[in-house]
Amino acid sequence: MRMLAKFGLAAIAAGLFAGTAMAQGTYTIGVSNTVQGNGWREEMICAIKAQALASGKVAKLNIAHRNTDAAGQSEDIRNLISAKVNAIVVNPADPAGIQAALAEATAAGITVVAVDQAVTEPSAYIISNNQEQYAYLGAKWLFEQMGGKGNVVYMRGAAGASADSDRDKGFKKALAEFPDVKVAQETFTGWQQDQGKQQILDYIATGVPFDGIWTSGIDNVIVDALVESQATLVPVVGADNAGFVGQLNSVEGLKGAAVTNPGSIGGAGVTLALQILEGQKPAQQTVLVEPQLWENVTDEGKAKLKGAADPSLSPEWPVSISIPDWTTYTKEQIVACKGPGE
Amino acid sequence: MRFLRQHGWVAGLFALFVVLFILTKIIQPGYGAGDFGSLVRAVLPYAFVVAAQTVVVIAGGIDLSVASMMALTSVTAASMMAGASEEYALFVVPFVLALGFALGALNGILIVVTRVPDIVVTLATLFMLQGAALLVLGAPGGGAAEWLKNLIIGTVPLPGIPDGLTTWIPKALVLMVVLLCIVWIPLMRSRLGLSIYAIGSNQLAAFRSGVPVARTKILAYAIAGLFGAMGGLSLTMSTGIGAPIPGPYLLASVAAVVLGGVALGGGKGGLLGPIVAVFVLRLVRTDLTLLAIDPNVTAIVEGTIMVAVVMFGAFIVMRSRSS
Repeated sequence: MRMLAKFGLAAIAAGLFAGTAMAQGTYTIGVSNTVQGNGWREEMICAIKAQALASGKVAKLNIAHRNTDAAGQSEDIRNLISAKVNAIVVNPADPAGIQAALAEATAAGITVVAVDQAVTEPSAYIISNNQEQYAYLGAKWLFEQMGGKGNVVYMRGAAGASADSDRDKGFKKALAEFPDVKVAQETFTGWQQDQGKQQILDYIATGVPFDGIWTSGIDNVIVDALVESQATLVPVVGADNAGFVGQLNSVEGLKGAAVTNPGSIGGAGVTLALQILEGQKPAQQTVLVEPQLWENVTDEGKAKLKGAADPSLSPEWPVSISIPDWTTYTKEQIVACKGPGE
Repeated sequence: MRFLRQHGWVAGLFALFVVLFILTKIIQPGYGAGDFGSLVRAVLPYAFVVAAQTVVVIAGGIDLSVASMMALTSVTAASMMAGASEEYALFVVPFVLALGFALGALNGILIVVTRVPDIVVTLATLFMLQGAALLVLGAPGGGAAEWLKNLIIGTVPLPGIPDGLTTWIPKALVLMVVLLCIVWIPLMRSRLGLSIYAIGSNQLAAFRSGVPVARTKILAYAIAGLFGAMGGLSLTMSTGIGAPIPGPYLLASVAAVVLGGVALGGGKGGLLGPIVAVFVLRLVRTDLTLLAIDPNVTAIVEGTIMVAVVMFGAFIVMRSRSS
């Protein structure tokens, strides 16, 4: 009788288990991110939540999302190890600085997927936008618009971030192809809207003429600054943030291009982590997503921009809210920003 | 009575830590020695920065430059050790500690000589040190000697003590206790230690009693600089690199000092309280991660816990005074 009860319970438990697996999934995924309050990163987090929900394979997300340094991120990763998550999706504060913590995670049997930027830990999988190509595409287009000569304002991201140094490589590659283009000013916006705007206002105030602005994604506030201070509208290159895409469609006389850099890469990271957990390892340790350029000079480009514009999104959010083959959530799901069990 | 008040606070904090630890065990039954080791490694840089802030606050000042001090010493150590031999680090460590001591003393000298308030001078040095850190390393990088990194990895095997116990003694904990004690215990037993408390509780009275106020203040800031350098080194040890942009250590140091029962007005408190407070704050962070609380809520929870503990503590102190 007791035996029977035991079997019965086991059967019920198995049924429940299968039931939850169908409805909610069984995996727990940890997330570690170290920039809070940035539109791109917020979209990344929402994409992670939405993809975890849409996949149906994730029971719970453990998200460590705060402003901190590599040591703080190592702390967060170790806490996620303590929480016994199955996989960790991490946007690294520094490629090398969290190596020890990532190695501990792998040793604990946790699948580690770095999104957006590379890490030095060899056991980690990396899925990232091709940042070098991102900068090269935009810079090349910009220099062509400038007629191959003149002064460019080079507004980078955060000093030391690997995405920033990769973009620097791409920018320099384009610069080498246009020997008459000079960098008039190089700044680090830290990918913060307020800092970027202050820097361009300071530069406009010096009165030194410039012929183009390349930004590392802090873009709509730069156009705002040009318009507000009635400076000459030089060509501006930015990312596919909703606000900037809207400006490219609407601001009179503005020439510019948006290069895609989907924050939804976070969702792709979840997909990759789930594939690995289910035994489908990718052919290479690093998977790159290629960027696209949408400009408002040709009719073809204009059409792409019109199609991409989405005023319903927050202006700091990239409009490319999904990545074909990698994300399966709907727009409603990512905008709602709710993960499994929320 | 004073003895009871001071140590009562620390005992209360320690009890809070134990309660939190039990709570952690309930949330995550698998929470064990290895996880405790992770906690200690997370605590390490905070412990030193809090020690730095504690000395200065007891002396009646405040040091806003501690986090930048950590950043500068960390990048200095990391850039010197990058590609250098293992033995070279034996020179780098004392050099960086001396650098911290000297820069801390500079803070003190500026305050004493210019008579500009501590908060203004250290705010200025915050930016100066941060700029200097960016000059040393424009971006995170550098390296660290393997032996230095290994100092905080793993546990200490002690002869005669069962393994079950030694797994709970991570190297990082030993390193932290040893380094803090080497500086703190002789300091507290010396005339300088007494003078630090004296100028913190009443500078004029201390001066009239013949305490060398200027020298004491300079030395208090210098010791803070030394602790800051230890914090910077611990960052390099735990990450293997140096990062020129300071982490969230300044506000954390002030928070732990307050939570640790050190009066912000100066002259009261010890080092043990703030150190236990750091453990409490880090363990709260662990629990919030284990519980998978909405990350945007965690900061609110951390802040609320701090206010609640300090208010509760103040209430107890008031009650015990009136009775």
